[in-house]
Amino acid sequence: MNEKKDSKDPFDEQIEQLTPDDLQKALQVFEQKIDHKYAAHLNSCVHCGLCADVCHYYLTYKDLQSIPAYKLSLVIGVFKKYFSFSGKAIPRWVGAKTLDKDMVKEWIDSLFGRCSLCGRCAINCSIGLNIPYLIRTARSALAAIGLVPPGLQSTVNTAIEKGNNMGIAKEDWLETVEWVEEELQDDIDDRNAVLPLDKKGAKYFYTINPREAMFFPLSIQAVGKIFHAAGESWTFSSDNYDVTNYGLYNGDDEAAGIMSDRLVRSMKELGCNTLVLAECGHGFNSNRWEAPEWLSKKYGFEVRSILEVVAGFIRDGKIKLDPAKNQDLITLHDPCNLVRLGGIVEEQRYILKHAAANFIEMIPNRQKNFCCGGGGGQLSMTRFSERRLKVGKIKSDQIQKTGAKIVASPCHNCIDQLMELNKHYKLNVQIKTVCEIAADALVI
Amino acid sequence: MQTVLKSGVLISMVFSAVTLTILVLKTFSFGKKKLYAEPTGDIKKGITYAFTKGMMPWEKESAGSHLPTYICGMFYHTGIFLALFYIFVVIIPITLPDIAILIFQVFCLSAFVSGIVLLIKRLLTPYMRELSCPDDIAANIIVDIYLVLAFVHTFFPGITTYFYLTAIIMFAYIPLGKIRHCFFFFYIRILFGIFYGRRGVFPTRSKIDET
Ligand code: SF4
Ligand code: SF4
Repeated sequence: MNEKKDSKDPFDEQIEQLTPDDLQKALQVFEQKIDHKYAAHLNSCVHCGLCADVCHYYLTYKDLQSIPAYKLSLVIGVFKKYFSFSGKAIPRWVGAKTLDKDMVKEWIDSLFGRCSLCGRCAINCSIGLNIPYLIRTARSALAAIGLVPPGLQSTVNTAIEKGNNMGIAKEDWLETVEWVEEELQDDIDDRNAVLPLDKKGAKYFYTINPREAMFFPLSIQAVGKIFHAAGESWTFSSDNYDVTNYGLYNGDDEAAGIMSDRLVRSMKELGCNTLVLAECGHGFNSNRWEAPEWLSKKYGFEVRSILEVVAGFIRDGKIKLDPAKNQDLITLHDPCNLVRLGGIVEEQRYILKHAAANFIEMIPNRQKNFCCGGGGGQLSMTRFSERRLKVGKIKSDQIQKTGAKIVASPCHNCIDQLMELNKHYKLNVQIKTVCEIAADALVI
Repeated sequence: MQTVLKSGVLISMVFSAVTLTILVLKTFSFGKKKLYAEPTGDIKKGITYAFTKGMMPWEKESAGSHLPTYICGMFYHTGIFLALFYIFVVIIPITLPDIAILIFQVFCLSAFVSGIVLLIKRLLTPYMRELSCPDDIAANIIVDIYLVLAFVHTFFPGITTYFYLTAIIMFAYIPLGKIRHCFFFFYIRILFGIFYGRRGVFPTRSKIDET
């Protein structure tokens, strides 16, 4: 590992103690994760190198290890060695690689430590290889032998054990809801404004990123205010409200399935119509696109981003916004999992167009936007924090060039990273969710 | 001698086709996973995007910022497909009109030059060199030789022996190394279109005004 090298690090010791059985198990899981689509992808990189300078890691470090094709070659090399004829017959000739202790170290350093699974390389690949998803198959193999970097794994463990990724106790969550509800009522001077809990038959079942309950209650209040203004029936669950799913990042489909299934069960128990996912990029990708695959089932109910819902309220005239209430210049960060991998591209713009008087796009934007550097579990893997901040310089420069005073970010993970970038690169901006900006513009 | 070589080319083609088929079957032996998430976008539009706009330099940053490489790649691959067709012209044989021969010569020569440019770039750019394995270089050289011989053959049919020999080597090599991507490329673009199309990423769905 290049960063924070410490021979006494228990994680490094764990790697040193790997046995041939562990490696065999990793290979078995790797093979299980590969379907015919991935197998075709793994046969097709042409080493053209065109993916290099679209990756924020390569643009920052300019080293071989940061090139998407190099990271992918670590996965393809192992695939060839064990699952292809040419890789077995002429390994050196075709770049086949043995999965041994050194390769495991490289996998951890490159596939966890130099990739935020942002997918920018995939849309730029000459062939069209889904590089982040292929990298995730190798992460799955590492997860199977307990070699997920500790911070990321403990986030998953906490979510599995405690029901949410911050380990918030039920009474604390209920207290937060009560407190935010009072704040909301004071804010709009209306005792009828409520944050409903476990309301059976509500139309919308709303979820949050637990960070909101811990550190950003204003974003919960903002959504409550919007639902109230729209006069819609909605609810929280007192047990299952966590939209996040770090199983997407550690590659453990089973754990990921357990987390997403909680929301599905609560939806069904409460008999709600639509599962509404908070402003959380990976939470959206996980619960909208990946979870039905992890659980091998069709949901039978709608799953939508809160941005789709709020844009719908505006379009249908259920809420009215006054852009004059937000005069500061606002720019928008496009979270990779929500936009490039999730397909929620225009809704946030539609909302901001109605909610803000002055808006400016970052360049590039939408599907082509740069990752903030916080995705792929990077925020939880402290051993790679230094890299995370360095690669975030690209996003910081993008923000600076707009001259905006406020950065709207429809993702709480991105917000965490943007707040660090704000401090580190002295950007002097405010960072808000899209719903917070919309709530400020509400005409009630 | 020519007959033996001609048979050699055909055998090598059959070997290539059979081995590629086995490779595809092996790929499918990894299993097909059913997709459960409800699409929001249009898969057909996604596939169309993958083969059209999604490959254009103004849409794809990597192509736009590496325009010379992109253009070389386009010429290279067009020339290769034409040169693959040309081997049948020689074997059967088919008499082509002069204009067709002229067009072929232009594309074949451009493809050869592009192949050499791409090879030089691979060898001279440090990160490209480090990314490459012997297969990348061998594949390029084999195809370049095939292209130049196809081009020269249009002027000097007397080199048929060398052209056939190169064709035998090239067809035998296709399933073993990276040239196989010419086969997988189309399938992967389809998968690309399905992935981004069903998610409404490419092309971007504008649901707000539609509903
Ligand atoms: S997914 Fe993003 S971070 Fe990972 S290699 Fe591709 S561009 Fe780089
Ligand atoms: S652009 Fe695609 S094919 Fe080319 S080197 Fe990168 S991953 Fe491989």
